[in-house]
Amino acid sequence: MSNPTIQPRFHHGIAVHHHVGALHLSVDLNLTAPWTVLFGPSGSGKSSILRAACGLLSKRDISFTRTDLRLGSIEPLQNATLYTPPHRRGIRLAPQNPSLFPHLTVRQNIAFAHKAQPGPGSPGEQDHREELIANAITLFRLTPLLDRRPADLSGGERQRVSMARAFAAPHCRLMLLDEPFTGIDRTLRDELLPNLRHGLLARGIPAISVTHSVEEAFQLQAEVVLIRDGKVEDQGDVSQVLARERERLLENVNSLR
Amino acid sequence: MDSTSILLTLRLAATTTAILLAFATPLAWWIANGRSVTRRIAQAAVALPLVLPPTVLGLYLLVGLGPLTSLGRAIIRIIGHPLAFTFTGLVMGSVLFSLPFAVQPLVAGFSAVDRNLIDTARVLGASPLTVFRRIIAPLSRAAFLASAVLTFTHTVGEFGVVLMLGGDIPGVTRTLSIALYDQVQEANYAAANRAALWLVGLSFLALLLLYARSSPYQESDLV
Repeated sequence: MSNPTIQPRFHHGIAVHHHVGALHLSVDLNLTAPWTVLFGPSGSGKSSILRAACGLLSKRDISFTRTDLRLGSIEPLQNATLYTPPHRRGIRLAPQNPSLFPHLTVRQNIAFAHKAQPGPGSPGEQDHREELIANAITLFRLTPLLDRRPADLSGGERQRVSMARAFAAPHCRLMLLDEPFTGIDRTLRDELLPNLRHGLLARGIPAISVTHSVEEAFQLQAEVVLIRDGKVEDQGDVSQVLARERERLLENVNSLR
Repeated sequence: MDSTSILLTLRLAATTTAILLAFATPLAWWIANGRSVTRRIAQAAVALPLVLPPTVLGLYLLVGLGPLTSLGRAIIRIIGHPLAFTFTGLVMGSVLFSLPFAVQPLVAGFSAVDRNLIDTARVLGASPLTVFRRIIAPLSRAAFLASAVLTFTHTVGEFGVVLMLGGDIPGVTRTLSIALYDQVQEANYAAANRAALWLVGLSFLALLLLYARSSPYQESDLV
């Protein structure tokens, strides 16, 4: 069921080599699709890969550290002598837990990144920032919720605000989404997904998401990376990777008989 | 009723509170953000005035700031007189004695801020200072209020350190609690009663402010 639409080629990726507790993450992703989906069982290290890319793994929790970002050239983000802090990486994350700022309204949450960063240098930059916020509000259909506080939102609404907030952040070089559509009903998800994909493509931003939904991967025409025990087990077109995974599962079942 | 003592007490409490809030905020943030031995030692040192008799601290300050120590001699060289028995000396003693009352609520408040909110703000491009200003400080409003109120009320009611370090100089170091003690010594119970009522009133009002303005954000909102 792969979509034959020709998609633009990206050349991006992340390399993450860390010991996180008992898990040894060793992942070197060379990606060419605009959207990549990380699949894998719980505890395989998918979320840790995203957190490492953002620089959020605490120094206390990790040893043997190396994180590189590949956007054209290779840019070291973290190693024995270097640590680029999260706010200087230009990597945005919509986390699994929406983590909305409870003292701010939905509108203020979405505009947070603009307020948090140095003011726009030119009127053009200011217009661009306002356009990003307006686009995020429209894309995630948040107009009726703008003046509400997070405590007054449902789980799915919080998830949408979290994605809109990451989407609206300026100077984004890579978008990471950790199970972004959890709690959002299927119909709405089917409407939001293509718009989000299109919105990121229009800005030339590649995306990597973690999901357990096969449907989502197909809908995004994503490149799929299968992660197991902190390593890449398989990588490629969604239909091929999932077909191989199905064969593996069947072999396992047959061997048990 | 000695209005000078009331004004002096309020001035001492306000000055101590202002100095301590400025000093305790970065200290509490540092203590709340790590588990190192150095931080635990600092936390224990900060809490020391809670368990020490105030007269012990007063004695150390009196001797330490006097001409018998090199620090005391340096201070005398710079300002021309010892710090003991002056308002500045009193402020210094109050700051040290009320330190745990300023730091502990802030450490508790900062520690209660959800780490995920801080991480999310950083990933959205906020520098550590911006994260503190826009996320941690507004979410710790109740802690700041508690810190200010406890420091203020504790300074208002201070006795041991004030007596040891400040002596009992009218208009300079005679605070309400010292005035109350003097009046009891002189068997002037009516005046003592008025001073006591002032202390009860000030303390009650400060605590009422603390409890009336509880945080509008419940922990369950921090999602």
